Amino acid sequence: MVVAALCLALGAQAALDTAAPRATAIVVDKLLTANAQDEVHAPGMIVLQDGKISYVGAPRELADDVEVVRLEGWAAPGFVDLHTHIHSGGFGDVNDMVHSLNPELRAGSALRPGNRLIEIAVAGGVTTLFGIPGSGTNISGFGVLYKAKPQDGYVGSVVADPGGMKVAQDSNPQGRAGDFAFGNNRASMGWQIEDVCDRALGATREGRLDPALQNLQRVMSGELPVIIHTAGSEGVINTARMWKTKYDTRCCISHGSFDGWKVAPAIAALDVPVNHGPRTMDFYSSRNGRINGSAAEFVAAGVPTFSLNTDSSVMPEEEFFLQASMSARLGADPYQMLRALTIHPAQTFGIDDRVGSLEVGKDADVVVFSGDPIDPRTRVLRVWVDGDVQYEFERGRQRF
Amino acid sequence: MTLTTLLLAALPLTAAQPTTPDLLAIKVGKAETIDQGTLEHAVILIEDGKIVMIGEDLPIERGIPVLDRDPEWTVMPGLVNAYSRGPLDSRGGNDSTPGLRASGELYIGEDFYGDVLELGVTTLGLYPAGNGIPGRAVAIRTKADTAEGLILRDDAYLKIRMRSSGSDKKMLKKGFEDADGWIEKEAKAREKWEKEQEKAKKSKKGKKDDEKEEDKSVAVPVEPSLDDEESGDYVAPEKDPAAEAFLQLRAHELSALVAIGQSSDYLHLIDAIGAEEFDWDLRIPITTELDIFNVKREIGLRACRVVMEPQLSQHPNTLRLRNLPMELAESGAKLVLIPRDDSVVGHEAWLRNTGEMVGYGLDRDAALRALTLEPAELLKVADRLGSLTVGKDANMIFFEGDPLEPGTRVEAVMLEGEFVTGEVKL
Amino acid sequence: MRFSNTIGAAFAAVALFAATPAAKAALLSPQDEESSDESGEEGFGEDDGPETHYFAVRGADVYTGTGEVLRGATVLAKNGRIKAIGYDVEIPGLDFQADVPSKERGYTAEVLDAAGYRVYPGMVAIESSGLLGTGGDYRDSIDPFDQNMILGLSTGITSTGQSNAACKLKRYISQDPPVPYDFDGIVLRDDCYANFSWGSGSARRSVREKLVRASEYLREYRQWQIDVKNDKELKEPSKKGVDNSVLDVLQGNVLAKFRADSREDLLGIARIAQEFGFRPAIDGCREGWTVAAELGRAGAFAIVTPRERRDKSEMLVREGGSSIENAAILYAAGVQVAIKPASRGISLGGITGRDIMHLPVEVGFAIRGGLPEDAAIAAVTTVPARMMGVSHRVGTLEVGKDCDLIVTDGDLLHYQTFVQWTVIDGQVVYDKQDELYFAHIRPRAETEVAPLRRLDAGENEEAAEEGDSEADGDDDKDKQNGKDEEE
Repeated sequence: MVVAALCLALGAQAALDTAAPRATAIVVDKLLTANAQDEVHAPGMIVLQDGKISYVGAPRELADDVEVVRLEGWAAPGFVDLHTHIHSGGFGDVNDMVHSLNPELRAGSALRPGNRLIEIAVAGGVTTLFGIPGSGTNISGFGVLYKAKPQDGYVGSVVADPGGMKVAQDSNPQGRAGDFAFGNNRASMGWQIEDVCDRALGATREGRLDPALQNLQRVMSGELPVIIHTAGSEGVINTARMWKTKYDTRCCISHGSFDGWKVAPAIAALDVPVNHGPRTMDFYSSRNGRINGSAAEFVAAGVPTFSLNTDSSVMPEEEFFLQASMSARLGADPYQMLRALTIHPAQTFGIDDRVGSLEVGKDADVVVFSGDPIDPRTRVLRVWVDGDVQYEFERGRQRF
Repeated sequence: MTLTTLLLAALPLTAAQPTTPDLLAIKVGKAETIDQGTLEHAVILIEDGKIVMIGEDLPIERGIPVLDRDPEWTVMPGLVNAYSRGPLDSRGGNDSTPGLRASGELYIGEDFYGDVLELGVTTLGLYPAGNGIPGRAVAIRTKADTAEGLILRDDAYLKIRMRSSGSDKKMLKKGFEDADGWIEKEAKAREKWEKEQEKAKKSKKGKKDDEKEEDKSVAVPVEPSLDDEESGDYVAPEKDPAAEAFLQLRAHELSALVAIGQSSDYLHLIDAIGAEEFDWDLRIPITTELDIFNVKREIGLRACRVVMEPQLSQHPNTLRLRNLPMELAESGAKLVLIPRDDSVVGHEAWLRNTGEMVGYGLDRDAALRALTLEPAELLKVADRLGSLTVGKDANMIFFEGDPLEPGTRVEAVMLEGEFVTGEVKL
Repeated sequence: MRFSNTIGAAFAAVALFAATPAAKAALLSPQDEESSDESGEEGFGEDDGPETHYFAVRGADVYTGTGEVLRGATVLAKNGRIKAIGYDVEIPGLDFQADVPSKERGYTAEVLDAAGYRVYPGMVAIESSGLLGTGGDYRDSIDPFDQNMILGLSTGITSTGQSNAACKLKRYISQDPPVPYDFDGIVLRDDCYANFSWGSGSARRSVREKLVRASEYLREYRQWQIDVKNDKELKEPSKKGVDNSVLDVLQGNVLAKFRADSREDLLGIARIAQEFGFRPAIDGCREGWTVAAELGRAGAFAIVTPRERRDKSEMLVREGGSSIENAAILYAAGVQVAIKPASRGISLGGITGRDIMHLPVEVGFAIRGGLPEDAAIAAVTTVPARMMGVSHRVGTLEVGKDCDLIVTDGDLLHYQTFVQWTVIDGQVVYDKQDELYFAHIRPRAETEVAPLRRLDAGENEEAAEEGDSEADGDDDKDKQNGKDEEE
């Protein structure tokens, strides 16, 4: 079996180097679809064609010209991380600390698709990332939604630029939101943000496109999502009130750390998605003597679309899966946590028609693991992004 | 009991004029005696500053001036704060200076004494400043004309600080080593002296020899008589103050008050003490999160005194409240309560705070005892104060209600038979 | 917790421990223990008195760390030392069949029923920080009530390297009458290593000079030992200029410990070790995978952090930088590998999975890089014990060794597994349900092990146990699981 897999792998590589075959069928021991029914096929087969998935299910007879890749392991959808800062290859190019509101800033211009951090990220099974500016300012700017395709360039990688807006409301920007910032506390930060949002809404009402606010106008109209850095119970609830109740945007609470989970029922009632991390545990803020797994609490409270993040490089991007395993350790359901790495973040950003699960018609972003995808002992064997192999264990083994 | 009958008309008493009669009977609704429980309709007879009689519904001989406040007043012994630096302002270091006495710092001009006396604090235990082994505490009354007059007892206790650290443990061990060193030195000196005596005896045979034997065994240091070397009495080597304190500890002439900060400090204390035997009590400051409950059973079994503030704390890392003074008292420790804050304001809140602890479950009798008799025991002055007992100083506070209820007013304070505050009319 | 306690009068006291004898037993040398062991083999009782304390954990799958797995077996300890491991082990103090306390006997016994659980040797953290308090002089500064110690025990760590010593995570156990905390009992061994600096040219020269002088002295001394038989007057060779710790290294009494990561440094250490015939312990060893064979030949020990990631300098053409496969490659080359996490202390700030509390996670990353599971467990048990020279006491579950063990609700290296009980010297010092930290997470059922909802439910164990690549029939179960979720 091992030998066979190896031969096939080499074959696949050779094929990659020359001309892409009409279709590739991946046969694995177990296939986690992360679809609405959370279907599992063991063994399972997935067929990739023209960068899309054309079949998911039990292994079946195939046409002769279909290349078959047999791997000992489990297949799962490529992971989707909505809160990352590795697009530029490091922690540079992250914050513009001059203005407290930067609705014109776009992180996409700093994207380096082949950088080392992205290369390692693929080796950890991460295939879709939302690369965003840092949280040093209130409106941090617009992020780039891209695929991890180190062998490709900007055009091949980018899904949407801008892919959404980044706002920072609590903790980080407090007291240091730009050189010209007059807002040092929560109230004035709220005031500044609402002021610029109201101006954007005003421009839209007047039927004009303000060059400085045009992207923000798209957020206010619901065309683009917004991800909001916020933490602590009071921060989380304020964020939800502003961006959901007041402006009804496609907002998503990011971080929600410390005792943010304590307002999870209210967040669930407002139907606001939560993108949790890099802190997934709280001990000091909750003061109940427990080591609280906050992911478990958010899910238990009924937050509809709960996803995880790394805030890379706060957590290394390649260890994205560990956010799921550690959350499962601290009380969350492991299947839910796998969804928190895949379909839930995709739904949060409205890209679940393309990524997040293994279903026919979706992008061929497939990761084959040597076992349980969220077990640190498991290795990523191969990664396809848009049908192309972007990582192979045999070639990049030193990496991760 | 025979009493001299005095013919005295009812006369007004004020704090300004300490004209309390030498013989006075006081009738109150309730007396918290501490050592004999609560007396209803209590009569206390005071003569020359001492309590000479106390009981329920005692008949009062004609002619004795009577202050009748039955049933409005409740009386309890004057408060004893055994652990204070209120009127002292020196700073200490981290050294071992067990010979140092806090009494050396006393300054009569401080307002503090009068301020706390007005609140009913009739006795204070003042300790020397500093970490390590800063020295000896002094027990004082809170009113006198001179600094010396304040002193009730010097060497009330030796303060020792013990934390989970090598230096603190070494300091304690070294104290006993110094004591051992002195014993050794003394033994050598004696040996030398005995040899010399032997020599002298040989050269001057037949001289008186039997009489001195007993003296030698006691080894009482006497003034050296250098002019008469041959027949000189034995002179013990000079004790350094460090050795002296630890020799006194071993002889149970002095006791220690060891300040610890957490459970592990207690284990390190036991480790540092090793096989030494001496009397010690504990000072454990209540902090927001104190883990002392881990060793409460151990402390309780020792039945030592524990000096704490009447304050709740939180179970570590939680918001769960714990009443650690109560827990320690229930484990068997003898509770000594001190104000949360060593300022005058702190003393003002002291009774109220103690009442709060009673509200949170602390036994009321233990609480009252922790303000009076236990601290008096700690200061080694319980033979003369700390409870309403015949023969003890008439140190009393009179309240117009329950002393532990918030809002209860202090009507009068008596120190050694004198009303020192309050408008009192017989 | 299901403790059956013996000895009539004290039956109600669940935590009836006998620490003094345990501590005394711990001070005995292995030889002493062996002899007493043989005498006790026939039956229990002759030398047992009220001071004698038995502890048994029974019904669990016992992973001894020696390669053996005993399903549903019993581990019995007497006064803190393991007395028996196996089946049908008689537990003194309990009438074995009726499971009732035997009142005639004068000693105490505690039994932990752990059917459905697993027993492993307590982990030995090669390095940690803060588990024994903050002070350097742990004997005089240890806080045996400290949260970090409890969390270390919750991880399953029972011993740890601290400064240059090997220590146990001994908690204070309140007993009646109180027994003073055994401050000396925390130390398994002082001065485990001779620390050598290899950072600079002068440091390397100094190491070499010391080795030259010490080995010269050793040669002279050995010759003298022979010659002195003929010539009784012959003077012992001069020890002038000999570094005693270097001498200890050459005599194999302690390991020479280096801190090195680069290939050049590692090669230098491997060569000098072979030249002078000693075994080096190398902390870091990041590029060890590029020179594994050399390190293997030198008989090296390595302390690695599998998750450490550092790219090689772009100036270099050769292989270099970190590799997830470092531990596996070193192990395959014969290097003894110990694992330490990225952060040596306890971290409760919210980012989880990277500190000493997640030592098994770090071990998981070594397995990810190809290290076999048993070698991975050895990297946090037997190898560190060997490196610190305390493997006669800890690291495996064997008769005569300290009864330091952990009881887990599953595979020690699975991310959902929790340590349920930690036992040191035959005393339960951690019970998950008795501490606030993790009691709320999958609270332990009183009757049996609650089935855990796991992604790999069933398959990995079977595959591992039976050595088969396929485990059929999970298909339906997993589908079922998935469906349950949606409902």
